[in-house]
Amino acid sequence: MNNGILLAVDNLSVHFFTEDGLAKAVQGVSFEIHKGKTFALVGESGCGKSVTALAIMRLVPDPPGKIVSGRMKFKNENLLDLTEKRMRNIRGNQIAMIFQEPMTSLNPVFTVGDQIAEAIKLHQKKDAEQAWTDSVEMLKSVGIGDAERRAYEYPHQMSGGMRQRVMIAMAVSCQPDLIIADEPTTALDVTIQAQILDLLDELQRQNGMSILLITHDLGVVAERADDVAVMYASRIAEKAEAESLFSNPLHPYTRGLLKSVPQLGFEGERLATIPGIVPDPLHFPAGCKFHPRCPVGGKDKRCQTVEPELRQAQAGRHVACWYAPGYETKQEREEYESKYKQ
Amino acid sequence: MAEKTAQQKSWGVSYGQMVWREFKKNKLNIVSLVLIIILFALAVFAPFLANDKPFMVRLDGKLIFPLFSSLTASDYSIFLAAAVGIWQLILIRRNRKRVEPSARGQMLARQLMINAAVLLAGSVLFFVFIPRRLDATDYKGLINSGRATDAVFAPVPYGYARTDLGVREQPPGKEHWLGTDDVGSDVLCRLIYGSRISLSVGFVAVGISSLIGVFIGSILGYFGGKVDFLGMRFVEIMMAIPVFFLIITIVAYWQRSLFNIMVIIGLTTWTANARFVRAEFFKLRNQDFVQAAVSLGLPLRSILFRHMLPNGIAPVLVEATFGIAGAIFIEAALSFLGFGVAPPTPSWGQMLSLGVSTTGRFLWWLTLFPGVAIFLTVLAYNLVGEGLRDAIDPRLRKAA
Repeated sequence: MNNGILLAVDNLSVHFFTEDGLAKAVQGVSFEIHKGKTFALVGESGCGKSVTALAIMRLVPDPPGKIVSGRMKFKNENLLDLTEKRMRNIRGNQIAMIFQEPMTSLNPVFTVGDQIAEAIKLHQKKDAEQAWTDSVEMLKSVGIGDAERRAYEYPHQMSGGMRQRVMIAMAVSCQPDLIIADEPTTALDVTIQAQILDLLDELQRQNGMSILLITHDLGVVAERADDVAVMYASRIAEKAEAESLFSNPLHPYTRGLLKSVPQLGFEGERLATIPGIVPDPLHFPAGCKFHPRCPVGGKDKRCQTVEPELRQAQAGRHVACWYAPGYETKQEREEYESKYKQ
Repeated sequence: MAEKTAQQKSWGVSYGQMVWREFKKNKLNIVSLVLIIILFALAVFAPFLANDKPFMVRLDGKLIFPLFSSLTASDYSIFLAAAVGIWQLILIRRNRKRVEPSARGQMLARQLMINAAVLLAGSVLFFVFIPRRLDATDYKGLINSGRATDAVFAPVPYGYARTDLGVREQPPGKEHWLGTDDVGSDVLCRLIYGSRISLSVGFVAVGISSLIGVFIGSILGYFGGKVDFLGMRFVEIMMAIPVFFLIITIVAYWQRSLFNIMVIIGLTTWTANARFVRAEFFKLRNQDFVQAAVSLGLPLRSILFRHMLPNGIAPVLVEATFGIAGAIFIEAALSFLGFGVAPPTPSWGQMLSLGVSTTGRFLWWLTLFPGVAIFLTVLAYNLVGEGLRDAIDPRLRKAA
């Protein structure tokens, strides 16, 4: 059963103790990433997906952030139990990260070849010359032409797409088992986006690594991901294999998201939107956090007061919604009816 | 061959070159820099410029070279330091042409280490093997008496420690271009030797304060939180102490030596540096490339001093040039008050204090010339500091 699972995140909660109060950025998030597969974490800005990624790397800024509960089993270790020294060894070497902003993620005072070589030198214990050759090799493998020459360039001499390629080269340089790509294409041109994602796909096929893809772009998810979790306001709303999630979304929020993606041949006046805004993590609504915007259970008293847990509704489908088909047994349903609907 | 030049071109312009280009644009910066270089040259070649011993002289029919044989171990060490310094500059130029940018840092570190070792070993050798000679021969007297002939003197034929009560408190004239002080020493000669004191105080004190400041500032800025809170209170306590009076107190307890003054100034003036570096690191801490460096699992040492410091070093460099000016000023003030280096070692501040003689006479040349020397030196360093700041700032803005 455990076979094939690279990273199992279990009941992860991250809180930020800010001056304005307690912000529960991530609550009870659980998911598994399989070896060699792509897992997508989807959600609007501020839903906690980036914080989840940082938590896996143990890079949540502390203070004010703190991982208050959870287990993250990576291979056979709980990442939260490791010493900082052991964690440093894992970062870059076994779990690497690609950041959203290629413009600022590279150090302006070093050449790109140098930045890749440093990680190789450190994690693979190679001498400077070998590391440099390797880093040129890495640049070639991410499709940078004339890599021998470009390795000597500084980040400011490169375009955004190029820099993101360099970031990817840096991330895969030590052949990590897991790559966390935090909105890797958001800051890029649409034409470049596809190239970068293709590149990630290809590298994944070559090295057999897993990818945690964090994005708000459902188009990207549909094409690239094997498994998907949709996050809303600090919790996972729905979790499934990509195909079944797209063909049959169970959570009203997922349905709303899918409806707001333009389809080829779409001829309506206006794209559908989800009314309302993402709640502020300092003032989450009571009950189901989606209820103020929910077209299904918005007026339901239970939705307003009791938060549904993430539960298996159908085979391979997890969802957190009272109204999702299969969420409750008939008996539970009746119990509820008698309690709330007098 | 053609291939090689093509590769060199692709190395692009280094950060240092960019800053230098920007720095060059302002004429005033160049003038100040030249002034500083002249000061350095004066300090290094002081024994050849002002010396009461002739380069060569025929004494009782025998040709001797008293000036060269009277050079002390510290003179030789200073020459060696200057030579090593110039050699290092040549090496940096050469690195830029021959070594690929990524290997330059390591190369520079290695060269610096080798040169420092050479300098240290050379100085030790000089101090061991060159005996302290005290040549008290009065060559001018010998020439006057006719025993010595064919003498070639330095441009300023006086020693800084030579007293001649016959010519005390003389205004500038043909014999003594800038006059003499209360014990008949030549003012110009003492000014030239005084530049050695000023420069060494400036550089050593700033070296110490920069090292301490950068180290403490980077730790406070990187960790923030409680470390920063406690650290900053310590910095504030240090800042609350009036440095000048602290120095006076410490000097009063210990000896009045140049070494003490340098160390004390260094140990008490690092707070500004620490605060600048802390502020820079606070800013850098949340930059994506620092996060990226952390997420690559790089060790703290590398993150702090390899990735963050070069991005936040600009204010330290600027502060260092201002700091040199400040240290020179503090030394002058201390010496003026009589807490500085002990006579006969020449110091500009101490010369300044002789401007009003014990008889109550106002000796304008003793006030004016050392005053001008202090003023020009401090001004030059401040201007270079300001030029450096302007040259670095737009670069930083572009890079960020």
